[in-house]
Amino acid sequence: CQDDLEEVNNNPNEAIVAQPEYLLANAIKSNADIILGSDASMETTTLYVQHWAKIQYTDPDKYTASVTNIQNVWTNFYSLGLTDFDKVIKLGEESGNVNYQAVGLILKSWSFQMLTDLYGDIPYSQAVKIDQYLTPKYDAQKDVYLGLLNDLKKAGDLINTSGSPISGDLVYNGNLTKWKKFANSLRLRIALRIADKDPATAKSVVAELAANPSLLIAGNDEIAQLIYLSSPNQNPVSRDRETRDDYRVSKSVVDKLLELKDPRLPIFANKTVDATPNNYVGVTNGLLADSAAKLGFTKTSKLGDYFTAPTSPAVFLSYSEVLFNLAEAAQRGFISDDAAALYKNAVTASLQQFKVSSGDITAYLAQPIVAYNAANYKKSIGEQKWIALFSQGLEAYTEWRRLDYPQLKPAYAGVLNGKFPLRLTYPTGEQALNSASYKAAVASQGEDKLTTKLWFDAQ
Amino acid sequence: QNITVTGRVTSQADREALPGVSILVKGTSRGTTTNAEGTYSLESEAGATLIFSFIGLKTTEVIVPASGKLDVALESDNTILQEVVVTALGIAKEKKSLGYAVQELKTKDLAEAREGNLVNALAGKIAGVNITSSQGGMGSSRIVIRGETSIAGNNQPLFVVDGIPVDNSQLGAGANGSRDFANAIADINPDNIESISVLKGPNAAALYGSRASNGVILIKTKSGKSTQKGLGVTLNIGYTLDKLLVLPEYQNVFGQGTGGQFSYKDGKGGGINDATDESWGPRMDGRLIPQFFSNGEAVPFVAHPDNVKNFFETGHTRTTGVAVSGSNEKLDYRFSFNNSKQTGVIPNTDISKNSFGANTTYRINDKLTLSTSANFVRTGSDNLPGTSGRGSSVMLQFLWFGRQVDTELLKDYNKGGFDYNWNHSYYSNPYLLQYENTVEQRRDRFFGNVNLNYKITDWLTATVRTGNDYYTDRRKFKVAYGTNGTPFGSYTEDGYAVNENNTDFNFNLHKAIGADFEVDWLVGGSFRYNFSEQNYQQAPKLAVSNLYTLNNSRDPLVSYNVLRKQKVYSGFSSAQIGFRNYAFLNLTARNDWSSTLPAGNNSYFYPSVNASLVLTDAFNIKSNVLTFAKIRGGWAEVGKDTDPYQLINTYPFNQPFGSSPLLTVSDVLLNSNLKPEITRSTEVGLDLALFKNRARLDFSYYNTDSYNQILKADVSPTTGYKQKLLNAGHINNRGFEAMLNIKPIEAESGFKWDVGINFSKNVSKVISLDDEGFLNDYKLGSNGSAAVYASKGLGYGAIFGTAYTRDATGNIVIGANGLPVRDANLKVLGHYTPKWLGGITNSFSFKGFNLSVLIDTKQGGSIYSATNATGKYTGVLVQTLEGRDAAHGGLTYYYPGNNKSGAAVQLGTGGSAPAGEVVYDDGIIAKGVTADGKPNSTIVSAERYYKGVYSNSAGINEASVLDASFIKLREVKLSYVFPQSWVGKYSLQNVVLSVYGRNLAFLQKKADNIDPETAFNTGNTGQGLESLQLPTTSSYGFNLSIGF
Repeated sequence: CQDDLEEVNNNPNEAIVAQPEYLLANAIKSNADIILGSDASMETTTLYVQHWAKIQYTDPDKYTASVTNIQNVWTNFYSLGLTDFDKVIKLGEESGNVNYQAVGLILKSWSFQMLTDLYGDIPYSQAVKIDQYLTPKYDAQKDVYLGLLNDLKKAGDLINTSGSPISGDLVYNGNLTKWKKFANSLRLRIALRIADKDPATAKSVVAELAANPSLLIAGNDEIAQLIYLSSPNQNPVSRDRETRDDYRVSKSVVDKLLELKDPRLPIFANKTVDATPNNYVGVTNGLLADSAAKLGFTKTSKLGDYFTAPTSPAVFLSYSEVLFNLAEAAQRGFISDDAAALYKNAVTASLQQFKVSSGDITAYLAQPIVAYNAANYKKSIGEQKWIALFSQGLEAYTEWRRLDYPQLKPAYAGVLNGKFPLRLTYPTGEQALNSASYKAAVASQGEDKLTTKLWFDAQ
Repeated sequence: QNITVTGRVTSQADREALPGVSILVKGTSRGTTTNAEGTYSLESEAGATLIFSFIGLKTTEVIVPASGKLDVALESDNTILQEVVVTALGIAKEKKSLGYAVQELKTKDLAEAREGNLVNALAGKIAGVNITSSQGGMGSSRIVIRGETSIAGNNQPLFVVDGIPVDNSQLGAGANGSRDFANAIADINPDNIESISVLKGPNAAALYGSRASNGVILIKTKSGKSTQKGLGVTLNIGYTLDKLLVLPEYQNVFGQGTGGQFSYKDGKGGGINDATDESWGPRMDGRLIPQFFSNGEAVPFVAHPDNVKNFFETGHTRTTGVAVSGSNEKLDYRFSFNNSKQTGVIPNTDISKNSFGANTTYRINDKLTLSTSANFVRTGSDNLPGTSGRGSSVMLQFLWFGRQVDTELLKDYNKGGFDYNWNHSYYSNPYLLQYENTVEQRRDRFFGNVNLNYKITDWLTATVRTGNDYYTDRRKFKVAYGTNGTPFGSYTEDGYAVNENNTDFNFNLHKAIGADFEVDWLVGGSFRYNFSEQNYQQAPKLAVSNLYTLNNSRDPLVSYNVLRKQKVYSGFSSAQIGFRNYAFLNLTARNDWSSTLPAGNNSYFYPSVNASLVLTDAFNIKSNVLTFAKIRGGWAEVGKDTDPYQLINTYPFNQPFGSSPLLTVSDVLLNSNLKPEITRSTEVGLDLALFKNRARLDFSYYNTDSYNQILKADVSPTTGYKQKLLNAGHINNRGFEAMLNIKPIEAESGFKWDVGINFSKNVSKVISLDDEGFLNDYKLGSNGSAAVYASKGLGYGAIFGTAYTRDATGNIVIGANGLPVRDANLKVLGHYTPKWLGGITNSFSFKGFNLSVLIDTKQGGSIYSATNATGKYTGVLVQTLEGRDAAHGGLTYYYPGNNKSGAAVQLGTGGSAPAGEVVYDDGIIAKGVTADGKPNSTIVSAERYYKGVYSNSAGINEASVLDASFIKLREVKLSYVFPQSWVGKYSLQNVVLSVYGRNLAFLQKKADNIDPETAFNTGNTGQGLESLQLPTTSSYGFNLSIGF
């Protein structure tokens, strides 16, 4: 009866063997859901960077971060996406499919990049290895970024476009050349992230990449993104808006776009339901609940239909971002290209991404207020990048912290004594479950507060 | 000279023949037993002494007359010496021979004062048993005996009906629709129960194996034998009313809104604060304000103090039952049918039960007896009360509420279009929730057993039996098109099929060895097979309204199915050795082989030993004071397996993305080296009877350790997993129980007064959670930042949460913003487990009348109350009036420049504000000290204060952790047995009428606004965390039983 007993206990409900394409698709979707979701975006980064503002339940907009939101970002990146990517890599190794290994590693690196952008020092070298490390140590942010640069290089080199194909690829539908471009564009992103602190490394990485710009994302049709489908696979923002009405476009965005006569305003924001003089009214970030409510749900601008459509994409890395990064690299002297031209191309790419007509683009670029100012490139690039990354909360928030432009005012009734949040605090679970490592990280990085500045953030 | 002695043995009480009486020739080992007609025959010398003994009757010695004809009538023995109880495997034993505590309840304790869930009927009646009863008068009830012995696993006792285990799962608790589905034992009809024995813990229950470490509830159903000769018909009619017992106390001064302002336009932000579902609005003094029913017209803003209370109704339960039974020399039989229909206090909720039962015993010949039991129960409901979530819980909306709302106006929820309501940003009309968003349930259950008993010789019997419990449980969840939050509605069907089969056989040897020793030895084996199946299908968005079918879906169906199987093989043996009927030694041993454990660890053996000594007999103590004294003690071990599929990680599916299937690595790292959990328990006890049984005391002390606990421990998600399956926890439970029965008055006139007291105390301690020592806390459940843990070094069920920061002398520290400062660390705020439990029953009887009053109590536990936290945040509860206006002690202040974001300035008595400044009278200066130790002097508005303290995200849980102690008037029952003289006139056998009330009142309750003793489910999650509970109920009823 021994065999009988064992047989009875074979789980008949779940797959015994994992298929890499199913895991890959799942993890891509999972990460996309995180970067647009309530925890990492709607209730945190899009508010901190003042793309959106809350018209009710304003606590998060006043920087009272919910413990649950902070825990979920951490938990979901690590235990949903990263474990699946890691398994994809292992399955690739077992079957000798280098392309699964490479794509898994690219997406794994991207996940770690977002985690360190948000939290600073994070478990990286010992993470997602439960058989070896039950309490992974935290690596310094610098080491994480440098490690990721290596991993991404390795991943790019692994790709064999004539090797075994991959499927389950919801981003590029198995186009391995584009994966290589995404890997390189991520390296470019990270290189600039560390440009203020480790310019030498940044320069060498950028120089290598710029030598062959065709191996970077080279058009809006190569954007790394997940395009959502109709319900039930709709965009998380779209899903939220089906039943909730908590958010408006931030006054910072509306005012800036009005000031720039930016043709993206009608895409980013909807007209107010009740007529208003400018048709668009943003909400000040961090109002008290009653002041926010008093502004009126029908007298303030909701997020544009483009972003609330079921099929609106989750953008991982856009073409315009690549161009902004190249412009900045040129300005910093890492490469010898024309920064102003790259800047103009970047703005154009963004306008095209949002389907602005060419006439409007020309008119827009002709405005002195939009023109590139080499003397204060951080302002030019910072402001335009902030606009181009609208609703890409994580990247926008990180680049705004690094570039320090546009100059925003902290939440009106913020609880941080007039300061901005500069990171997320570590989730409370870590204090209980990974206590020694957590304490070491806090000792090395500084107090575990929202206002603690991260390594990459020079100013 | 041997002669043949023949005769008939009867019971003196009823002159009925007694089969199975053992007869022994004194001084020899020769003996026999009586046959089914009570007659016997044996060889003996004239003048020899025969010893007649039978369980429950006085052992009698008679000298053989020369005629050889000897009829004997045995007297019943009313001393406890002969008390018989049902023990493991359904074997009746004399209570004095047991080395552990058993407590028994008879049918009148259960059937004469009814409860919807059988478990509730045990409350307060059994020492050491902690019942947490259902909310809203329907739903699940949790029962824990002698504390939680499993940190993460099941803590519910095993339920055994007529010797065969039955299922008591609570399926789909808290799942879609958030209904508190009743645990399966609620299907058992109390009218069919003859007795319930509670075996408290491993010592008593070791023979039942794995599931007995939490104790066993043995239910014996009525058989034909218990009725009079010939055909008996019993008719039962009952009726019960349910009324609210506890509802939150509301304030009736301020209405909906925030900052004192409100005006309705569209209920979702179009007006002034009309999306706000709180009551920090204007004073309800009749001022004119547009409201939801007024079409924009300003109408008087007034209080409706009973608006929540009036939403609820009076519940009704009617029960009808008929039983036919009879007995002859070959056959005992009993057939029963019962019907009950309950409508709840929450509108449009009901539960109906129909049960059919047939018990037969067929004595095929002298040696062979066949008994069968078959029951069919159909439990159905058209709608069960919702317990959580915006789409089903009415209490959620009544704790986020506009106090001015007249719920009467909401009854017509279709007025002017679907979902006519006071608010449209978060809620649908509460009547709509009840009448449109329903959850139907239907459970069809068949359980029964077949038992074949063969008497091989006088001293050896063989028994084989098989029992099966099978049910299907189908649920249909409807969410109407247009419901707030789910605009397209949804429709879900969730179906379960559950089966438990137990088959066992045993040989039972019962023999006297010499004059002094008696041996009762049992050896057997059993096989258990469980399977359960779930099929879940959901149409997540309906295509057209008002049609509830799975085809009616605009999105792909969400569906999954789960199949679970489990097998356990067991071999067991038990032996009782009695010495001169006053000293007893009991031994048991069992080995299980379970499918849920890995090959190397799936066989586990566990023994138990216990002994009892009747001191009064052993030392021949005969005294008018000390009538009976017994000491007992025992040690037992029970091994326990786990749930199926806990060994090897598999990959669950997620809902596909378009045409891409999605698989994921599971969140829990399983463990392929699991070992069985082991519970070891020591128990000692003392039973005393004093003053010729006028006072009796049963006392037990126990100490239980449970090792190798299997638990899913949280790990840092940076490992890639959320949880890891560990096998190392250790928890200790120690405690004592005392039961005292006193008969203060036993008058010649027939007047009797009985007092029964039970008291128990359990202390638990979590010794360790893992071997590596990295795990200190195991989370059992949480509600926001309040959570209940099993934490190393603490008692089970510690409530952790955010706490006030206090200075060295315990003063609350108040921040510069005038609000209490939250401590950076979570603190232990209490334990949900009570320190002690007690119950006292007084019963008075006189000439057929019996009045009994049960009062019970739980003392010393705590509860986190989300009702209090929410209702104080939203300003609906009466406690939030404090400081809210001058009449309630509010202080006056103004905001310089009328800038409400700035600091407020207090006005002294008679002081006046600068011209143009608005003066408010809802100022609160929180009691406490500032960071530098000075008394706080910062004034804040009441709204800001209460929201600060009670906010779900940033508030202080400590303020909502309440003392759960209570004393309840649990049951008052008056019954009257009509006199035979009267009954006989109408050719009736007996007539009993009882009137009763249950859960009548709290004699003590420290927690505001809630009933501190309700459960959301039977598991470990959610205990100690009250979550917007439905009101609990009191019931008043009568029951009439007529025997023909």
